[in-house]
Amino acid sequence: MLREFRTGNEYPYNRSTSVRWVVSHVMRYPLLPIGFVILAIVAISGFTYTSIQIQQAFDIIKDRKPIEQLVGVSIAIFVVRSAFALIDMINTVIREFLASRMERDAREELYISLLSKSQTFHNRQRVGDLMAAATGDVSQLNMMISPGISLIIEATTQLITPVIAIASISIQLLPIPLLFVASLIWGLIRYNRQLGPVAGMMRGQYGVVSATLSEAIQGIEVVKATAREKFEADKFRAVIARYRDLFVQEGEIKARYIPFLFYGLMTGLGFGHAMWLQSTGVITTGQVVAFMTLISLFQFPTFISLFMFSLVQFGLSGAQRILKIINTETEMDENPVGESHVVSGQLEFKNVSFGYGDANILTDISFSAKPGETIAIVGQTGSGKTTLTRLVNRTYDSTEGVVSIDGIDVRLWNLDSLRSQISMIEQDIFLFSKTIAENIAFGARNDVPRERIIWAAQQAQAHDFISGFPEGYDTVVGERGVTLSGGQRQRIAIARAFLTNPRILILDDSTSAIDSATEDQIQRAMREVLKGRTTLLITHRLAQIRWADRIVVIRRGRIEAQGSHEELMQQSMSYRRIFARDEHNQPST
Amino acid sequence: MGFVLDGLDAEAYDRQYSDGELLRRITAYFRPHVKTMVLVSIVTAVGSIFPPLAAKLISKGIDDAAKGEDVTIVLKWAAFITFLGVVGWLVNYLRQRYTAIAVGEVVLKVREDSMNAVLARDMSFYDEFASGKVVSRVLSDTNDFSSVVTLSIELLSQVMLVIAVTASLFFVNVTLGWITLAISPLVIVAALAFRRIARSATQQAQRASSLVNSAVSETVSGIGVAKSFRREALIYKEFAETNAMQYRIKVRQSIIFGSIWPVLGSITGLALVVLVYFGGRISIENPANLSVGDWFLFIQSVGLFFFPLTSIASFWSQFQLGLAAGERVFALMDAEARVTQSDSLPVTEMPGEVVFKNVRFAYNPESVVLNDFNLHIKVGEKIAIVGHTGAGKSSIVKLLLRFYEFQGGSIFIDGRDIRTLDLAAYRTHTGLVPQVPFLFSGNVMENIRYGRPEADDTEVLKAAQALGGGEWLADLPDGLMSDVGERGSRLSLGQRQLVALARVLLRNPSIFFLDEATASIDPFTEAQIQEGLDVVMQGRTSIVIAHRLSTVRSADRILVLKNGDVIEQGSHESLLAGGGHYAELYNTYFRHQTFDYRPWEG
Repeated sequence: MLREFRTGNEYPYNRSTSVRWVVSHVMRYPLLPIGFVILAIVAISGFTYTSIQIQQAFDIIKDRKPIEQLVGVSIAIFVVRSAFALIDMINTVIREFLASRMERDAREELYISLLSKSQTFHNRQRVGDLMAAATGDVSQLNMMISPGISLIIEATTQLITPVIAIASISIQLLPIPLLFVASLIWGLIRYNRQLGPVAGMMRGQYGVVSATLSEAIQGIEVVKATAREKFEADKFRAVIARYRDLFVQEGEIKARYIPFLFYGLMTGLGFGHAMWLQSTGVITTGQVVAFMTLISLFQFPTFISLFMFSLVQFGLSGAQRILKIINTETEMDENPVGESHVVSGQLEFKNVSFGYGDANILTDISFSAKPGETIAIVGQTGSGKTTLTRLVNRTYDSTEGVVSIDGIDVRLWNLDSLRSQISMIEQDIFLFSKTIAENIAFGARNDVPRERIIWAAQQAQAHDFISGFPEGYDTVVGERGVTLSGGQRQRIAIARAFLTNPRILILDDSTSAIDSATEDQIQRAMREVLKGRTTLLITHRLAQIRWADRIVVIRRGRIEAQGSHEELMQQSMSYRRIFARDEHNQPST
Repeated sequence: MGFVLDGLDAEAYDRQYSDGELLRRITAYFRPHVKTMVLVSIVTAVGSIFPPLAAKLISKGIDDAAKGEDVTIVLKWAAFITFLGVVGWLVNYLRQRYTAIAVGEVVLKVREDSMNAVLARDMSFYDEFASGKVVSRVLSDTNDFSSVVTLSIELLSQVMLVIAVTASLFFVNVTLGWITLAISPLVIVAALAFRRIARSATQQAQRASSLVNSAVSETVSGIGVAKSFRREALIYKEFAETNAMQYRIKVRQSIIFGSIWPVLGSITGLALVVLVYFGGRISIENPANLSVGDWFLFIQSVGLFFFPLTSIASFWSQFQLGLAAGERVFALMDAEARVTQSDSLPVTEMPGEVVFKNVRFAYNPESVVLNDFNLHIKVGEKIAIVGHTGAGKSSIVKLLLRFYEFQGGSIFIDGRDIRTLDLAAYRTHTGLVPQVPFLFSGNVMENIRYGRPEADDTEVLKAAQALGGGEWLADLPDGLMSDVGERGSRLSLGQRQLVALARVLLRNPSIFFLDEATASIDPFTEAQIQEGLDVVMQGRTSIVIAHRLSTVRSADRILVLKNGDVIEQGSHESLLAGGGHYAELYNTYFRHQTFDYRPWEG
């Protein structure tokens, strides 16, 4: 698989199916699962053996033997039970270690795979989905191991060991317990088949209810202004009534849980059968007691089965979602042997098209920029401006045509060399919860001395507001209510660019500054940073557009017009339209 | 009762209800289902007798067998136990089924009531409380509240079972009964102690996990940035540390939680040993006091008795959570309305004249926004309001829409006191485009029609085409039928604004309110919006909170607001020439919107 990032020591998991993947995770630490199963069998066998000890006590009491013998049996029961509790405790620790390791390793595996994927992948993927996988789905894996699968193992053992013990008392006692085990399995399958679809519908309907409600509440201003309260109330009532129906339906299925009935039947029938065998001399009364104690052990698997399977189901579907992310092919790699030298900044798009699947987002784009030129890209939101700029640093690769830098196809460049010479200052600037100084120095490879950071901030017109914070450059972003405005974030991003000193700059300046003073600073900072760099500038500001060396007008993924401001005012209707008002309403000078 | 969660998720409208009042409110919801609840209670009571009865029958049968009685008698006991098994299942079925029905109905009603309460709140409520929290009250708190009921019934059945078992044990042998009871505090103490440990572990884990989740969230969201700077190794290192921390916390917490079962297991083990030994001793010394079958009855009862006891201890905390949730739901319902109408006179014709007379308005007593505010807006006048944040611009619009209540003076619409009007009828004559227009999921057509549901398709199309020559429809993938996505996410802000304008145009209101977007919109869409605004404002009383230079320029009258007073008014040119507060505002908000803006020079 092509990858953009590797760490040295990655464990080879089997990623062919979700079940195999889970198994390969569990078997990474073979001692834990094997130890768990062995200890569970030992513990439950001991637990089962108590029934035989109770039979011994019963015989002592029935035949009125000396008390000392009873003391012996009591001590034996105590020893067995203590050992059971001890092993159970050890197994709890093993189980939780295994489950938490599974969670940790899966999250790590997922994260490394996310880092290794191309930006194309990340741009297509919603961060919310990745977050859900990295938090919710991996913790489902934990729950699947503990209590999920561990309980299934214990419950199964607690079905098998009593059956063996009963067989050792007398083979003739077996039919009813065996019949019970068979019907329990049948009942469980039936129960899960009935519950599964209803539970799925309930989850879906809960989503609908929640969406309906939040929409009404978030849109309350419109609801109230248009006096549509009753409409929203009725809509909500309809969706919650449907949810109620499903809730009752689910309650009905749970109430009908048939293994309870089988358990009750087995107790009565088993007792009768044992008594019959006793009367014919096949077994002793003590053995009846042992038998009754043994079948009462079935209670645990009968009750616990109500919920343990759904945990496994949730875990497996979580595993499936995680695997889907991990197994997504990513189309770019680091290209370590590619071109690697200083860029002069000549940029060219030649008949470039780009799209996912059939739909083209960009079609036949051609333009070029000489080193140091500023090209303004204008067009409606959604016309493809941002996508166009992303072909430059290979966030995406064009599907047709060539994007070249210094005359060399970007795909032939070493990715590291290419990206380190291109800076993107995007619309939404993501800052880490680190100090402002660390955020500014984020792009730089080496340790940057404080003076350089301050210099960069000064160039970016950010020094003043940073110094205004009590802790200055050591202010942690996001902590103690320190939030930065869009304009401030933008200047921090510009400061970053001063440190990384790229040859090509991509500036998305379509955010707004509502006051002129901030705008003054941002524009001065921008003007400073784009000096001597080839710049692609996405902006909504008419004044900015006007002063660019060249303007490219994009409409629905195609170039509608390009040229200088004066040329476009003559050639392009839609370009003229956006300037219409301002020209009319120029204050008379 | 809500003290358990004090300060955890409290809102200003939260209040404490006495236990009695809370109980009254809860029972009121169950009153319509009283028959169902009585049935459930009876069935639960009956059901709790079966397990001890079956145990007693088994011990009786064993005694008979030990005495060598005729097997047919014993087989009758066995048949009876089988019968009990069937009836027990049936009883359990009825209990669960009818509980589900009653709870389903009650939750439905509680949700309906809380939704109605929410919709009746005025806008001050929504500005104050985050929508997510309101949603969670209507959805998850009502759900937790219903668990009170399910749990109560469950609790009832467990308590009855414990009582029935205890009674049967005492009936058989008083001494052993006391011994059994003597061990039970151990279970309760263990369960309660565990609850304390678990609660503090959970709180720690929750705090840690929210830290970890936000760290994971940051490392995931930061991947894009890290990639463009090729700093993957750095961000991976941070992730790995967070992940390792999460692992340590999780293991510790799970082991604490998991250890309750071995602990309880050893206590029941101890109980078993004690009963085997002491019971056996009593029986050996004097079989008349305790037959060998009854000894076995005690052995069987270990499970019957101690299991419900542990669940009772754990139910209690969930029960409290449910009650606290109920309290939050009722507080939401009982929050007081602030906007009140004195009358509901019909509004048929409305030309759109607006008069503020000595109006006084404050969001809270400390911060008065408007004081003795006077304003007269003529029919069909185009008003632009400008001023710094907090000057009172949006208050004027909020008061006119009756989103907020004012404290003094009066507002007249066409000479009628706004408080005497039928609010819904009045609002049908107003149209609002908020700063960030809200779209409902569905297509563009449905969203335009939201303002006037009875409008037909041609009317909708006409309204849409009236804006900017309808050219904006061509830029949508499927024209009017384009899906807008969740909250309009598939449309740009500018397109959403056009939809909201069309929505208003379709309503044909007498008074039009616009809170102009502060966010920037691409120049092509902006041109369409400006052209569309010309259409919408044509011949209508229009009040615009202005952020665009072109808007203030085209207004009939600009109101310059400062500290809740109109300190200047007039046209753009005259105000600018006057050099007063407007000139300062211009220099602060509008200067950079001019065509010749070049701050980097000079």
